[in-house]
Amino acid sequence: MITTTETTETTETPLDADDAPVRGLWRQGLSVFAENRLALVGLALFVVLGAICFLGPLFYQTDQVHTDLASVHLPPGTAGHPLGTDGVGYDQLGRLMLGGQTSLVVGLAAGVLATFVGTLWGAIAGFAGGWVDAAMMRVVDAMMSIPSLFLFMLMATIVTPSVPMLILIIGAFAWLGPARLVRGEALTLRSREYVHAMRSMGGTGGRAVRRHIIPNAIGTVIVNATFQVADAILYVAYLSFLGLGVPPPAANWGGMLSDGLADTYSGHWWLLYPPGIAIILIVLAFNFMGDGLRDVFEVRLRRR
Amino acid sequence: MSAPIDASTPVLRLRHVSTDITLRRGVVHALDRVDLEVRQGETLGVVGESGSGKTMTALSVMGLLPHGGRVVGGEILFEGQDLLSLPPAEVRAIRGVRMGMVFQDPLTSLNPTMRIGAQVSEPLRVHQGVGKAEARERAVEILRRVGMPRPEKIVEAYPHQLSGGMRQRVVIAMALVCSPRLLIADEPTTALDVTTQRQILDLIDDLREEYEMAVILVTHDLGVIASRADRVAVMYAGRVVESAATADLFRSPRHRYTEALMESLPGAAARENGSRARLYSIPGLPPDLSRPLTGCRFASRCRHVTQACRTTEVVLAGEEHRHACLHPVAEPPVTARAVTPAVPAAVPAAVTATATGSVITTVTAAAPAAGPGSGPAEGPDVPAVEPILSVRGLVKNYEAAGGGLRRRAGQVSAVAGVSFDVRPGETFGLVGESGCGKSTVGRLVVGLEQPSDGRIVVDGADIATLDRRARRRMHRQVQLMFQDSYAAMNPRMRIDAILSEPLEIQQDGDPGTRRSRVATLLDQVGLSRRVLERYPHEFSGGQLQRIGLARSLALRPRLIVGDEPVSALDVSIQAQVLNLMRDLQRELDLAYVFISHDLSVVDYMADRIGVMYLGKLVEVGPAHDVVRAARHPYTQALIDAVPAAEPGVAVRPSVAISGELPSAQNPPSGCRFRTRCPFAEQICESEPPLTGGAHQVACHFPLRG
Amino acid sequence: MARYLITRLGQALVIVVLVTMITFVILHLLPGGVARATLGKEATLEQLAAFDHEMGYDQPWAQQYVMYVQRLLSGDLGYSFQLNQSVTEAIGQRLPKTMVLSLLSTLLAIVVAVPLGVVQAVRRNRWPDYAITALSLLAYATPIFFLGLMMIIVFSQVWPILPPEAPQGFTLGEVLADPAGLVLPTVTLAVVTIAVYSRYVRSSMVDNLNENYVRTARSKGLSEGRVVGLHTLRNGLFPVITLLGMYLPALFSGALVVESLFNFPGMGQLFWQAALKRDFPILFGVTLIIAVATVVGALLADLLYAVADPRVRLRAGRA
Repeated sequence: MITTTETTETTETPLDADDAPVRGLWRQGLSVFAENRLALVGLALFVVLGAICFLGPLFYQTDQVHTDLASVHLPPGTAGHPLGTDGVGYDQLGRLMLGGQTSLVVGLAAGVLATFVGTLWGAIAGFAGGWVDAAMMRVVDAMMSIPSLFLFMLMATIVTPSVPMLILIIGAFAWLGPARLVRGEALTLRSREYVHAMRSMGGTGGRAVRRHIIPNAIGTVIVNATFQVADAILYVAYLSFLGLGVPPPAANWGGMLSDGLADTYSGHWWLLYPPGIAIILIVLAFNFMGDGLRDVFEVRLRRR
Repeated sequence: MSAPIDASTPVLRLRHVSTDITLRRGVVHALDRVDLEVRQGETLGVVGESGSGKTMTALSVMGLLPHGGRVVGGEILFEGQDLLSLPPAEVRAIRGVRMGMVFQDPLTSLNPTMRIGAQVSEPLRVHQGVGKAEARERAVEILRRVGMPRPEKIVEAYPHQLSGGMRQRVVIAMALVCSPRLLIADEPTTALDVTTQRQILDLIDDLREEYEMAVILVTHDLGVIASRADRVAVMYAGRVVESAATADLFRSPRHRYTEALMESLPGAAARENGSRARLYSIPGLPPDLSRPLTGCRFASRCRHVTQACRTTEVVLAGEEHRHACLHPVAEPPVTARAVTPAVPAAVPAAVTATATGSVITTVTAAAPAAGPGSGPAEGPDVPAVEPILSVRGLVKNYEAAGGGLRRRAGQVSAVAGVSFDVRPGETFGLVGESGCGKSTVGRLVVGLEQPSDGRIVVDGADIATLDRRARRRMHRQVQLMFQDSYAAMNPRMRIDAILSEPLEIQQDGDPGTRRSRVATLLDQVGLSRRVLERYPHEFSGGQLQRIGLARSLALRPRLIVGDEPVSALDVSIQAQVLNLMRDLQRELDLAYVFISHDLSVVDYMADRIGVMYLGKLVEVGPAHDVVRAARHPYTQALIDAVPAAEPGVAVRPSVAISGELPSAQNPPSGCRFRTRCPFAEQICESEPPLTGGAHQVACHFPLRG
Repeated sequence: MARYLITRLGQALVIVVLVTMITFVILHLLPGGVARATLGKEATLEQLAAFDHEMGYDQPWAQQYVMYVQRLLSGDLGYSFQLNQSVTEAIGQRLPKTMVLSLLSTLLAIVVAVPLGVVQAVRRNRWPDYAITALSLLAYATPIFFLGLMMIIVFSQVWPILPPEAPQGFTLGEVLADPAGLVLPTVTLAVVTIAVYSRYVRSSMVDNLNENYVRTARSKGLSEGRVVGLHTLRNGLFPVITLLGMYLPALFSGALVVESLFNFPGMGQLFWQAALKRDFPILFGVTLIIAVATVVGALLADLLYAVADPRVRLRAGRA
């Protein structure tokens, strides 16, 4: 072993980093997330709404299959129906839980699917570069220039909407945004100095992708995925409003809200506001979480 | 005041000024009871390292503190009025008319979408109600005064159409348009190349005399201060620690910090050539200004510290030469310190630069330089030794950007036929201004880019002929060290992963041996094992540079290419890293290609130096000869442009170049320097070969035979 | 500049061609083929075969695509048997109205969002910033049709000052003749747009206020109003011009919902009704035209940006 006696004068450099406790990136990220109060609110909203929708039916059982025409449009507070009933006699609270399940499942699944496809597409385009990149991105440009709601509707007229179909349709067209984002990210990361440093040590392109580019791009992808989920939930609502959502007896918040529109003038407010507010809350929750996550991933890049 | 130089009151006087900056986490006490004054017609140099508060002082005076910044105590007396007690509107009027400020980065300090004329004349229009036509006329006038060619056209231009040096002239014109009493220049030339730096500093000097204004020159560069300031204030950790007349301060610094700072300069050691002394390096880092501090702020890094230093609040004391040190350097003048290489006594050509920048040349006797070059210490006894790196006719062209549909927009000639050798264990310095292609050469050598033409031979093997595997093995021999180590480290990897990555890539050893190799590396660069579990963002610049060096050493290379490895560091930290690099070179028999724009650093580090201009190597030779007996006019201009730090030694340039660097997309034919060379003649349109023995030059009219 | 124009124009052209390919591919996904989708369930096999032959759908794919493009170029988007009208004609009646609705709400959005964003940037991290941010996020999270319904409840029921339905005129002039009816659709469509734009203006202004040139401007002793209004605002708004183009698809999606809700006789409503009736010629025609409108709009925004920003306009060469 070679030791350098001459450098001892600087060996005991008082690293001020030495005073600070050693903390992993996850711990640091967690504390940043916790610092963002809105992000915590978002997380809490998501957990509460999720619990109500998926665990609620275990404790609050209602019949959401058979219509009960004897008890339609019961106002909230009626015995056994804390939020009243709708036009065919379904219990509104139970229906909210059921509808929430659909909205959340479709939103999450479509968001994840879109993120996955988009990431793959964008990454390939970004790494390939040259005319492959140009061709792939022109396809994205072209699909993006068709407003997505028009595309969704067009597809929904061709295939009969069901929950898996909705996920597929939304996922099949919502990946364009993530694709653009990831491609841009790949292009910048590819030219980062630390990738050059690694290549100058003789590292391969594969290693650059595995060890350097994916770990640094993952933050952007995750943040974007939360916004994708929020958007997907809204799209499901729009499709339902436009009459191309999942057919009954299946329910989703968007569909319940559009059904509620018809009741605006008849004073059945409990059919309108609860699903509307539920949608707003869940979309807000994902947006808040996305903001918080963005801070988390940025903090690691931020110098003190 | 106890020591007035003349009867007039100072233009600006700071009394006990303290400034706080409130951040999300706590308050930084950026300035602590700063006292300064500057008189009419005088240049006050404010010098200090990053974080010393020199820029905060300037911004406090101008009332331009960043978000959360506030002057919390003291008085800022401008022509007798306390700016802190005036209403904002009045301060604004003073700021716009009677004070002017020049900022560091000319590329970003102009509004990108406003015409130059409108920006320059804006203070006139706002504060003096001057009409549009007259404002424009005065803008043209002041632009002409600061040496802008074709000012009538420039007023219509936008900033992005001008070069950095030209933009800085615009900023100066803007600051001067109302004929201020005080000009504050905050690192006005740090972002510029040395030859441009010289032009700008000359301009500020001339204008100060013409306008009889006071100038505050804020800089980290002791050389700039020594050659330009009348008086100097040295700042450290938010305080002024020493202030004196420039000559006085450089001849006999009193504060221990000032002393240490001067000893850290590479120029100081390069003087005793042959057996270059180690630089003094100040250990440690400046204190954290958000914590409460007692006593002398330099105490923890000082060689002469005593218990009293840590507890006593020392204030600036003394008459003309004031300092705040309990154990000052003894009075008798220390031997003169030179910051930069001194210009050789026999200057072959006297060149007078006129105000407009054109050059009148009188070639005097071009006496052949006597000596056969360096002492034997530089070691030209070599042909027997096989070079570790041999570069022959290296060419790199890039496609010009902005192509679009049509591809052939043209080519940028970044490197145009460069040849040199590097022998084992030696340091080859590659020096030149930005855009000369020196970094590209470095990247080509380590294999980050493919040459358009030419050969790179590493340890006897032409890397172009190597197969994939051999190529990968080649990377063991040659490693790269970056200017910005932070950018060169993956922010999501811990230091242990960063240091063992080269070993993993080259499949060197098993995890256990890699771990012990990493530990050895840390010992070599003088860092404790505790750094292993941390992430790059937790370290300071100097520490990162050590980690970067450790990573370069991991594979036991024989050659390290350092691309401006110390340019981003403060002087005291720079000395730590330079010392370390030299120590390791001796122990490990490393060869360096040391790329830098800073001639004094290269002079200190290198055995041999190559000077590049616009993609060509114009001069190669032993370091001592190149710096002290330059043969190419460009090299001489570069040397002359470095501010000579011996105060009072106002060296007239032997070769001053004017004008702008030509575009590499359409470089001049023949000698690429001929468009700016004072000696250029017809023959220079043909390309001069690089000739000579140990000291080669590519010039038809070399300064020395 | 000229090179930029040509490049950008070429790009737009390529995108339009790709859009026609995409619609062509989707067209062939139709169950039962194009003929069945066009002629309806009652059509006989002979009719289907005749249709296929006439339209060239019995030809190879490449041939079909060429014919498809040729028809498009001659302005033939097909025929809607359900409306008993050519698709071109149906769209021709509706397109101007959608354009008016989009243009009005974009204008409204700009007029409101720019000051909001500027206030946020100048008062960054203080209560006006937080309040506007909260409102933007809320607006973004609310489904447009729910928002529109709230508007109807408030402004035509609780406080009846505006009609709940859009003007039903056949021509553009008739629609414009009833400005009161345009208010609610325009405002509804603008609210989400305002939320998006103001966020964008805010971040662009914040970036610019941190630039060095702002410090230079302050060093000239300029008032804060002049620094923000004259130096920063213009630079901060350049990127917003490109946003206008990028946001078009979302704007048209929003228009689809708004037109359906307020029964506004534009492209969106046409498309919606066609979707419910599975009127495929209309669906494909509208999709294609909306996509082309998006491409053209984005192109115009980019060109406007290139003309407005001297850094792009004078990119070539140094003075």
